[in-house]
Amino acid sequence: MDLPILPTAVIGSYSMPAWLERAKNDYLSRKLSRHDLDEMHDAARKGAIKDQEVAGVDIVTDGELQRDNMIDYFVERLPGVQIDFGSKRFYYDFYESVVRSKLASGPLGLADEVRFLRRFSGHRGKVAVSGPHTLVKRVQNRFYPTEEAFALDLARVLNAELRELVRAGATDIQIDEPYYSGFPEDLPWAIRAVNAMVESVDATIHLHICYGNRYGKPSWEGSYRYLFPAILDANVNLVSLEFARRGDEDLQLFKEFNPSFSLGLGVVDVKIQDVESPGFVADRIRRALEVVPPEKLVVNPDCGCMHLPREVAFSKLCAMVEGARLVRSELGKQGLVRK
Amino acid sequence: MILHFNHISRGKSAKSLNELTGLVAGSLTTLAEQGAVDAKMLRALRVHLDWIHYKTNFREPVMVRRTTMPGGQPGPLAEIAVDLRQADPLQLPQQLAHALQTVRAGTDADSVHLDSFAPWRHSIIWKFNKLFWQWLTEWEHASGRGFEAALPSGSSDANHPQAVADSVAEFWRLLKDLESRHQLPSEIVALEIGVGSGARAAAWLDGFKALDEQQGTGYYPKLRFWLGDYSTATLERALKAVEAHAAQVSVVAMDALNPFKSLPSQRFKVMYVHLTNVYDNLQFDELVRRDGRHYIVETRGGIPGAAADGLCAEFGITRAEIPAIVERMFEEGPSAAGEGARGVAFWRALWGAFRLEERLRALDDFEEDHVPPGLTRLHLDDLLAEAPDDIRFHVSRGAAESFANTLPLLHPRGYLQVQDIFVTSMDEYRQAFKGPGKLDGSLVVWVNGALLRAVGARAGYDVHFAPFPYRPGSKTNILYTTQRP
Repeated sequence: MDLPILPTAVIGSYSMPAWLERAKNDYLSRKLSRHDLDEMHDAARKGAIKDQEVAGVDIVTDGELQRDNMIDYFVERLPGVQIDFGSKRFYYDFYESVVRSKLASGPLGLADEVRFLRRFSGHRGKVAVSGPHTLVKRVQNRFYPTEEAFALDLARVLNAELRELVRAGATDIQIDEPYYSGFPEDLPWAIRAVNAMVESVDATIHLHICYGNRYGKPSWEGSYRYLFPAILDANVNLVSLEFARRGDEDLQLFKEFNPSFSLGLGVVDVKIQDVESPGFVADRIRRALEVVPPEKLVVNPDCGCMHLPREVAFSKLCAMVEGARLVRSELGKQGLVRK
Repeated sequence: MILHFNHISRGKSAKSLNELTGLVAGSLTTLAEQGAVDAKMLRALRVHLDWIHYKTNFREPVMVRRTTMPGGQPGPLAEIAVDLRQADPLQLPQQLAHALQTVRAGTDADSVHLDSFAPWRHSIIWKFNKLFWQWLTEWEHASGRGFEAALPSGSSDANHPQAVADSVAEFWRLLKDLESRHQLPSEIVALEIGVGSGARAAAWLDGFKALDEQQGTGYYPKLRFWLGDYSTATLERALKAVEAHAAQVSVVAMDALNPFKSLPSQRFKVMYVHLTNVYDNLQFDELVRRDGRHYIVETRGGIPGAAADGLCAEFGITRAEIPAIVERMFEEGPSAAGEGARGVAFWRALWGAFRLEERLRALDDFEEDHVPPGLTRLHLDDLLAEAPDDIRFHVSRGAAESFANTLPLLHPRGYLQVQDIFVTSMDEYRQAFKGPGKLDGSLVVWVNGALLRAVGARAGYDVHFAPFPYRPGSKTNILYTTQRP
């Protein structure tokens, strides 16, 4: 599916409705059946897709509203990870989970997400998968000798799943690795794990690295300088970073290191409810274009929108799309279009 | 009829308690036998026995609470509340008989009413509270003692030297840890909300500077210490107290209910926020579940008839003039009630006589008005799920709003520290009366820590409470936050 120059994308999650939060909690306390909850999930996902399409987003997701959080959704599916299902009452909390033996190989069932997205959206779709480094930081390791060994074995299992996603029709796969920013010293082996995860996966690979969005707030602070030069070894097509909340000082790193991958530019802040104007978004894109060529720039929010009220999330996406359109028209006048 | 023993005070006047509770039960039985209570009323009558430990409070020894339905029509349930601490054995039977008559008649018209029935958050007491903080100097001059001396404990725990020293050391350790991880921000931001005289801020800054110099860590020059208070006069006074640290200190006029609004530029940057005895003076509501239904407590302020007559005689006014004088006082200060000392004397006498009637209004389950700004119905649901039956509990909406609007300021490794009187679990409401108590010109109410815990959890923070260990017998708890994983 063709994309315009400066395509727009979401990072992954869409606004979580309060009624769905309540339903998820009711399911955990056995007041709601899995079947009923799944029906609600599907309805919410269709709504999320529709909102993104109406806003004009080029690369959409299913809103990830069926996921409790970015950890549990995966550890529940990973063969060999043991979970204490009584360890949470609030859906967004993390389960206590532990690995006590070598992970088995097996499908995680994420291909259903690809099929759902292809059935209910005419736009290009993306599926996000939590990366091995992030999972290693949340699952207790009682088997592998090192975190790196655990991450590489996770990468093996996840690699098989990514290939399955491609077979189901996935064109864009995103790996989420917010924990890099909290543990920059892990970066060399964390990048090796990502490379193992995407080996021979025939899709456009996005790598999302933020400073955390747990409960709608950052988990760490600092500069993206820690990513360089190690990140240059990542076999990915695009790295999406948050700039709207943090300011664009770190854009200079792309000038300094001139990476081969594209930049996913965070242009709307998902941790505050004030809606940016299209002009404001356009200014952010223009500043990025001073260091990144337009054919290597994708426009996206800083992170997932799950903590924003639906009307705010939708307005931010509309502003993002309109801001990109403004700059695109300026580039069109200069004869710059995506080929 | 159901008799509820809500709170009794262990070890205090046990003999008298026996006598009083026996008197209540005996008097009511006698009245029932005499036909003073009809069978229909008995079915819906509840009698509540409390021990109100505040020496001054807003209640009469015996009071009647009626109920209304969500639409305002009278409800079937009625209550008689007895404060065992104030109750006089000689008068109790007569007061109970009068209360029963009042329940039946539906009105007690003798008081001079100063406002209409409304939830606590809209009560006239907040106008009195504001008046007090605006005209504090005049009140203190007239009473001959500072407001801290008027606290139930006789002093404030805010400035305890060891508490301040420990707070400084904890903060320094956090900075040291961040430095070891190469995550120390270029500017180290701290904030105190509700600065009082500035004494605590001064002691904290002195301690921090000394520790930093002793350790040679160089944090003090990077420090930006914000003083936040709604009163510019208070900020000016506090600024003088910290003038030795002028280069490090900034002041900001701030509504305690929304610190973030005053400091949006500091979002996710503040490493340390401190408050002492701010939350216990913010608006609240009170809820209770009776027979499976939730009720909100509504109050109406006024002066009981005999006390009103006393005021009129002393100050040469009529009953009808009292409400207008009070309203003018809220606008212009105590001088509206008389020049100089006479105006303050009227204010103080009026406050001494001031009482609140109460009634219970049944809540519509889908009513959202009682959800404090910044929170959602889910927060309230969390609280109601834990709430004990038949015991009134506070929705500390002002504290919750302030708390929710302070958290966005915190740096990912930052923390909030609050010294105050907290109810740390909903079950504690069973154990003792938790306010409000009447102070000199002001009021104090325990803060519902369980609500703050629910608010914190939804915002990504675990909320912990630790007893204030620095003064034996202190009722203060220290709230502190840690990030949820």
